Amino acid sequence: MYLDMKNITMKFGPVTALDDVSLHVGEDEIHGLLGENGAGKSTLMNILAGTFPPASGDIYINGTKIENMTTKKSHELGIRFIHQELNLVNDLRVYENLFLGEEITKGFGLVDKEEMIKRSADVFERMNIDIDPVTMVSDLDTSHKQLVEIAKALLVSSSLIIMDEPTTALTNTEIQNLFSIMRTLKKQGVSIIYISHKMPELFAICDRYTVLRDGKFIDSGNFSDIDEKKATELLVGRKMIDAEIPARIASDEIVLKAKDLTLHPFFRNISFELKKGEVLAITGLHGDGRGELAEALFGDRKMTSGDIFIKGRKLIRNSIKSAMRAGVGMIPRNRKERSIIKDMNILDNLSMAFFTSSHKGIIKRSEEEERFEKNRKITSIKIGNPYDNIDSLSGGNQQKIIVGRWLEAGSEIYILDNPTQGIDVGAKFEIYSLINSLASSGKSIIIFSAEFPEIYKVADRCIVMYKGNIQAELDRDELTEVNVMYYATGGGKQNDAAQ
Amino acid sequence: MTQHNEKMDFKKILKKIYTDYTFILSFVLLVIFASVINKNFLTYSNLSTLMLQSSIKGIIALGMTLVIISGQIDLSVGSLAALVAGLGVVVLNSTGSIFLMLVFCMVFGGLLGIVNGLLVTKGKIAPFIVTLATMSAFRSIIVQLGQGGPFNVSSDMYNSFRLVAAGSVGMIPNLAIIYFLITLFMAFIMEKTKFGRYTYAVGSNEKAAKLTGINTDFIKASAFAITGVLTGISAFLLSSRLTSITAPNAGVAFELDAIAAVAIGGTAMSGGRGKIFGTFLGAIMLQMIEGILIAANIPPFLTGLVKGVIIILAVLFQSKKNK
Repeated sequence: MYLDMKNITMKFGPVTALDDVSLHVGEDEIHGLLGENGAGKSTLMNILAGTFPPASGDIYINGTKIENMTTKKSHELGIRFIHQELNLVNDLRVYENLFLGEEITKGFGLVDKEEMIKRSADVFERMNIDIDPVTMVSDLDTSHKQLVEIAKALLVSSSLIIMDEPTTALTNTEIQNLFSIMRTLKKQGVSIIYISHKMPELFAICDRYTVLRDGKFIDSGNFSDIDEKKATELLVGRKMIDAEIPARIASDEIVLKAKDLTLHPFFRNISFELKKGEVLAITGLHGDGRGELAEALFGDRKMTSGDIFIKGRKLIRNSIKSAMRAGVGMIPRNRKERSIIKDMNILDNLSMAFFTSSHKGIIKRSEEEERFEKNRKITSIKIGNPYDNIDSLSGGNQQKIIVGRWLEAGSEIYILDNPTQGIDVGAKFEIYSLINSLASSGKSIIIFSAEFPEIYKVADRCIVMYKGNIQAELDRDELTEVNVMYYATGGGKQNDAAQ
Repeated sequence: MTQHNEKMDFKKILKKIYTDYTFILSFVLLVIFASVINKNFLTYSNLSTLMLQSSIKGIIALGMTLVIISGQIDLSVGSLAALVAGLGVVVLNSTGSIFLMLVFCMVFGGLLGIVNGLLVTKGKIAPFIVTLATMSAFRSIIVQLGQGGPFNVSSDMYNSFRLVAAGSVGMIPNLAIIYFLITLFMAFIMEKTKFGRYTYAVGSNEKAAKLTGINTDFIKASAFAITGVLTGISAFLLSSRLTSITAPNAGVAFELDAIAAVAIGGTAMSGGRGKIFGTFLGAIMLQMIEGILIAANIPPFLTGLVKGVIIILAVLFQSKKNK
């Protein structure tokens, strides 16, 4: 089938996620959808799958306009969405997951177990993979779970399959298998929308491309007409070229020293130092143990061995209190789940860490408001009333409140774990300048991030992790995307990166 | 601050009142309804009876508010009240001191609450399961100790002890005064202290609370401990009011009434939101509804049904409101 999405606009509160975006996918075509995180790819696909109704715009399938797309309608039209995150029920068997909600029955509501197992085995055979349909999903590793997720879409005949980064956890052989299935599907007349960050994959499998940036349509065309360099330029635009960190006075004072930090199976023998006024980035790819390291640094995870010293004093292991007392603050990843207290107002959200680190038991309104005003100026938060609920703020302003939380608590060292996740581009830049100004005022910062443009905008130094080890430590002048990628994918230390 | 407050227009204020203080609105409506149905509703004797009846369960509900705001539940309060009350009467009879009995009730109630709290936090068992188990256990202990029979206040203590609950200061019954004072105290804790904020924070987002350095286990256990102390006070007042504690029956279904009062009072059953003052009115409203049922000649056997429906309606209403 062929698809046309025309002039789609989508707003989430004040944030415009999609601004007049159009997408054309032809008959039996594999279409690569490109864009950085937050460019609007997922939003566009969710509109197509009927998860969100668009603010404006039209969807045409085989030339027919589809009014009020719902998930049910899109299913009936044969549109299948393979999500990036795994949506499997761990406590059920593989075949039960595949047929979840669409069980084959023998009548009287009794499920036809044999038939479902047989059909599941058929799909796996077609995919050329070795998974027993009666295995518990919890016993599968991540790559097999992802394959099961893909199998779900292949189980029934479909006309358009959306694949949102389907290969993140797959091995090379599995990726090649997936590609040959995709080619077969294409021959059968199925169109595929393929979302990926990996250029070699896109060029290997896709026919045409569409690039989105900051919610806007940028370009569309044939992959055969462009190369990887051109694609990267379309993707990132010009904005990262002029990124310069402000000149900072290097200090020799070491504020944090990590010594042989190990937590099986996530990371091992991690040692590094952090200087006063320095921004240290820690990066890597999926499965590098970065997130666990961030948590362990703040005492939120029990390490197997190793010690952390703040200004020469050893921290009590696995104690958030001890880390806080030593002046460490944490801006966790996944703001909604880990840092925002959603039922509370802005003021209380700001004050929370101050409360836990001060000794007074009783709260005074006037003192709180004073503190809030002070913070509003430092972090340039744009809000009306501090007694409004925290939910009323945009993601970027929420994150500023969380940074302010630790400023209030008097933190000297800031651990930022993926701090711009789910924040629109403009606000991201404000967070970067906030990080840079914190560093200039003598605070020390460790930022955990997988996005190179982000690291490049703030970091003095960068540690690249690979499968739980420090693979390389790059100074500012060695900091290039190619270098980082080389080490993050396991490149050795001896043979210097191909520059 | 004024420049910000100007932006908060009238509509917003109304919306805030609607979302945060609906319980006042429902209270006013219920009072109007009750006085239409029952011409004697707004008489002194009726109002003081209403306060006598709602205070004892209301005090427990105040503790339950903390437990629910912190994202938990306590089903054991009824049995806990019976256990504390029964043994409290024994203490009263053997020491002859009302004061010692009160101290015993508060301390013993608090200890039993700590047992709940430790099982939840250190044992990492869901509050629902822990308190379901202790509900059964506490009841069983007091029934065994009393061999099924009642714990009676001895005749020489009878008159003086009875006056604790039956007495009044001027026109106002002691129970109402005690209930109101405890409400003020608890409201102060929840609104003005760090402990209060922590309780809300833990109920709203435990992970985030932990990552700001809050000792979440301590907060969760404390909610049970405070509920234990308040239930202890309640048990003390209950003994004074009844002067005889029948182990199998005393405090039965108190957990239902306490949870219902909290729900009617506008506290979110999922935790993170709620007001002590809402529960204060919630307990009174619950009692008023019972009164209305009697006035409307609805069979007393059906009050449980009505309470069940009220809890569901209150929670449904809340989830609609927060959409």
